[in-house]
Parts: sequence; C-alpha cells; structure tokens
Amino acid sequence: MADQVLRPAGLEIDLPSPAQVRTRAVVNTTLWRVFLAFVFLALFGPLVILLLFSFNDSSILAFPLSGFTTHWYTLAWQDTLLRQSLINSTTVALVVTPCCLVLGTLTAFGLTRFRFRGRGVVGGLVGAPLILPWLIIGIAALMAYGRLHIALNLRSVIATQTICTFPLVTAIIAAQLFRFEREQEEAAIDLGCSRLQVLRHIILPHIASALAASAIFAFTWSFNNFEISFFTIGFQQTFPIWVYSSVRNPDHTAVVNAISVVISVVQVALIYLAVRLLRRGSDDETGVIVAVAA
Amino acid sequence: MAAISQAVERERPRRFAGRGAFGILAVPVVLLIVLFLAPMLIMVVMSIVRYPPNTSSGYTLLHYQQVLTDPINLKVAWTTMFIGTTAMLIMLAIGLPLAYYMVFKAGKLELFLLLALVLADELAPVVKVYAWQVILGKDGLVNWLIPGPAINWLLFSRFAVVVTLAASYITYTTIPIYAAMKAIDKRMFEAAVDLGAGWWTQARRILIPLAAPGIFIALILVYLPMLTDFVTADIVGGTGSYMMGQRVRDLILLQGDWGAGAALNFLLLAITLVFSWIAYRFAKLNRIDA
Repeated sequence: MADQVLRPAGLEIDLPSPAQVRTRAVVNTTLWRVFLAFVFLALFGPLVILLLFSFNDSSILAFPLSGFTTHWYTLAWQDTLLRQSLINSTTVALVVTPCCLVLGTLTAFGLTRFRFRGRGVVGGLVGAPLILPWLIIGIAALMAYGRLHIALNLRSVIATQTICTFPLVTAIIAAQLFRFEREQEEAAIDLGCSRLQVLRHIILPHIASALAASAIFAFTWSFNNFEISFFTIGFQQTFPIWVYSSVRNPDHTAVVNAISVVISVVQVALIYLAVRLLRRGSDDETGVIVAVAA
Repeated sequence: MAAISQAVERERPRRFAGRGAFGILAVPVVLLIVLFLAPMLIMVVMSIVRYPPNTSSGYTLLHYQQVLTDPINLKVAWTTMFIGTTAMLIMLAIGLPLAYYMVFKAGKLELFLLLALVLADELAPVVKVYAWQVILGKDGLVNWLIPGPAINWLLFSRFAVVVTLAASYITYTTIPIYAAMKAIDKRMFEAAVDLGAGWWTQARRILIPLAAPGIFIALILVYLPMLTDFVTADIVGGTGSYMMGQRVRDLILLQGDWGAGAALNFLLLAITLVFSWIAYRFAKLNRIDA
C-alpha cells in the first residue's frame, strides 16, 4: 500500500534489481581496468623493452631474450662520443634553464600585471613558439644563421632553444600569478615599495615552487629537444642527436638502451623532485602540470 | 583622511597601467623579435628570392609554384594527412575516456595517472620511438607472441608510424582534455541519469560538448607537430610512409634546395597558424557556451 502512495500511476520506473546493479558495476570496473592496462602498456611498454634489452646478452634486438649482462653499461661508460654529447646537452640545458626562468618570469609578470596597448600582440608573440612545430622553427633558425654567416655551434642551439622554451615558463608562472590575490601587491605599492621590491618580497615567495618546477621542466625540455638542436648545432652532437644517429647503427643499439635507462632513472628522480616541490607550494597540485600542456 | 584614500583610489589604475610594462617586457620581446620573428622573415625572403641564399638575384614566386605542383609533394601531403588524422582519431578515442576516468572515476589515482602521462612523455626521447622497432619488428615482441609466420607489415609501414605517433603524443592529447573536463560539474551527469540518459547520451550531449575546448587545444598541440614529425617516420616508417617533415628536411639538408624548402616550410607555417587560429576560436566559442 505504502508503495502505491509513493509512486503515482503512470510514473512507474523499472528499477534494476540489486543483483543486476552489482553485475553491472563489476563489468564496468573490469572494463576500466582493461582500458587502463592497455594505456599503460602503450605508454611504458617501450620503456620496459629498453630496460630488458639493456641487460640482454646479445647485440641483436630480437625475442626471445638470451641472457644477462651489464656489458652494454660498461661500453656506454667508455664511449667518448656519447660522453661528449651528454656534456653538450647538459651544458646547453644548464645555460638555457636560468635564461628561461628570468625571461619567462619577467614576461609572465608583465603580461598578468599590466594593462597596455599591444598586450594581445605580445601575448601572441610569446605563445607562438609553443604552437609552431619545432621543425619549422629549427629550419627558419638554420636559414637565418646561414644567411647571416653565424657559426652553428652550441651557442646557436642555446639561443634558439631559449626562445622556444621560455614561453613554457611564462605559461607555468602566469598560471600561478593569476591564482593569487593582488591585494598584497597593491598594499606594498601603497606603502611605497618600488616595482623591484614588490617583485623581490611579495611575488617571488609566492611563485617559488612554480619557479622550481619550471626550472626542471625547462631543463628536461632543453635536454630532450631533438628538432631544434638537430638543425642549429652544426657538427657537434647533443644526446638526442647521438641517440638518433646511433639507433640507425645496429652495432650501437644495445649501448643506446643502456644509457637511456640511466638517463631515464635520473629524469624520474628530477621529476619526482619537481612534483614534491609543487605539492608543497600550492593547494591545487595538478594545476601547474596542466598549465604545462594547456 | 578621505582625501588621501580618494587620491589613492584615483592613483591606483595608473600605477597598474603603462610605463612599467615596457621596462619589464622589453628584453623578452626584443629577444623574441631577433631570435624568433627575424628568422621567420629570413625564411620567407629565402622562399621568394630566385637563387637563395643570394638575395640580390631577384624575387620570384617560382619556388611556390614548383612546390605546389610537384607530384611528390602532393603525394607526401596526402600520406601525412592520412597518417596524422588516423593517429589523431586513435588518440582521441583513448584520450577522451582516459581523461574522463581521471576526472570522475580515478579518485586518489588521479594525480598518479597525471604524473604517469607526464613521465611517459619526458622519458627517453627518440629511443622510445626506436623501442617500437623491437616491438613490431620481424623478430619483435608481437611476432614472437603471435604464433605462425612473421607478419611483415607491422614495421616500416604506415601502420607502424600511426601506432608509434599515437603512443608518443597521447600525453598532449589527454592533458588538455583532462583540464577541460575538470571544470565540468559532476551533478550534470547525475541529473542526466535521473532523466533517463544512458552513457552514450551522456557522452554525446554533456561530456564531449563541455570537453570541446580541451579537444581543440589538443588538436593544436598534437595534430600540427605530428604533421611535421620526421623522427618517427625515419625510424619506424617505410617507403610508403614518407612524411612532410622528412620531405622538408631532405629538401634542405640533402638536396640543399633552400628555395623549395623555405617555400614548403612557409606553407606549413601558414597552415599551422590558420589551423591554430580556427581551433583556438572554436575553443573559446565553446567555452562561452559552456
């Protein structure tokens, strides 16, 4: 009787039985798990392959595996070309990163804290290197350096990489600057602070963690960059270029695997550090990572 | 006292406008003009001089005519579009549910999945592409796992390029979509369920329209770089998957044809800008709708 009162005639809904609901939930969860497993396989499968073959006792990369060795790690350690390419990449990244931090922060500050004519144009100019494919930028840079008779070396790589990487820092820092209240800055100005003092005492402490994170992202971007370095380096090699030329040489591939594993481990450690810093500095820990891509 | 606060109020807008911006933005903007804009202009000049890099040889649009009528370029453009579009569709088919899962279902796993995506993108550049050779090759993982004679078309083919591209760019497809979905109010789905909508209706009428801005950003970030990618096609591609990025690179580095290379590169640049502008407009339009 009570049921009839609650449900007026004509509005009867077929409710699934509890058992049906449970089955559906189980099927649902299983489907999602299979999907996630598939995604992880596609994302990390190649990396696992590299790891496996870096310890595989054969220079031919074919299944089944043939035995355990650390020989490739020894060879990688002794390879002078490889060592030079790593030194080159590290040097480039170590110069590019601080340049990007300074340029990126200045730009983010200028774009978020000032209203002026041409702001949209400046914003577009800063965003353009993030949108244009690196191949296009690399080739344009190659032609410009060639036409102006500027020698291609690590300096040209650093210049072009900096210009393409600092907008990333701008994006990360601008996201952080948008998020916090402006009252403190205004109060500081009213109390007689100069722009530089505001930057030093109010803004920098707020964006410290975002800065640290952008430093690590800028470093990885620079270190991993292939296209721009490829076109602007001339006869030297950075690490990705060394890899690119080595994977086409069958005798070399096992060494490439070994060194890639080592570099990956270092990178995981760096990115772990970046995330730790981010979590400490902001309540919305995902925000900055999202800003990297968005 | 009132006068002071009034003066402060009036003073404030001026303090945040104008002069200061110039000093702060001067260095980055000048650097962008010298190191980014100027090379682009030089490239454009190279595409219209008769015998580049000699700028005194007279101006001509011959290179554009040559580039646009060369049957090789048309074929390469078609291959590139086909490979890029297929890979993009695959990535959307994976990225949309993945982003949905991360936002609405993952719970504590959300940050972990996000990190996994970022890490997968950052680790082992170029080598990762090479690893697909080991997976898809004649003596590779797939052929080893599947009994019977080796499947030959897995590697050095369009198939290999599509699979490898899709696996390489999934991060940049998923994260913008994820960011857009993050803004969706969960209660909309509850309302839809109460009104009797199934999962397909929910996806079609709520999820995809509201995630559209993210999808358009993903298109800018992924589709365009894919069209110019040459590393992937170099390493896992074959003769049937010769792509636009390889074509431009070969024109300039192998054949030393700066005129045609610059013209083709400028066309790619123009396509990129137009496509990004349209996608960006759509992204904004949809955001206002939402």
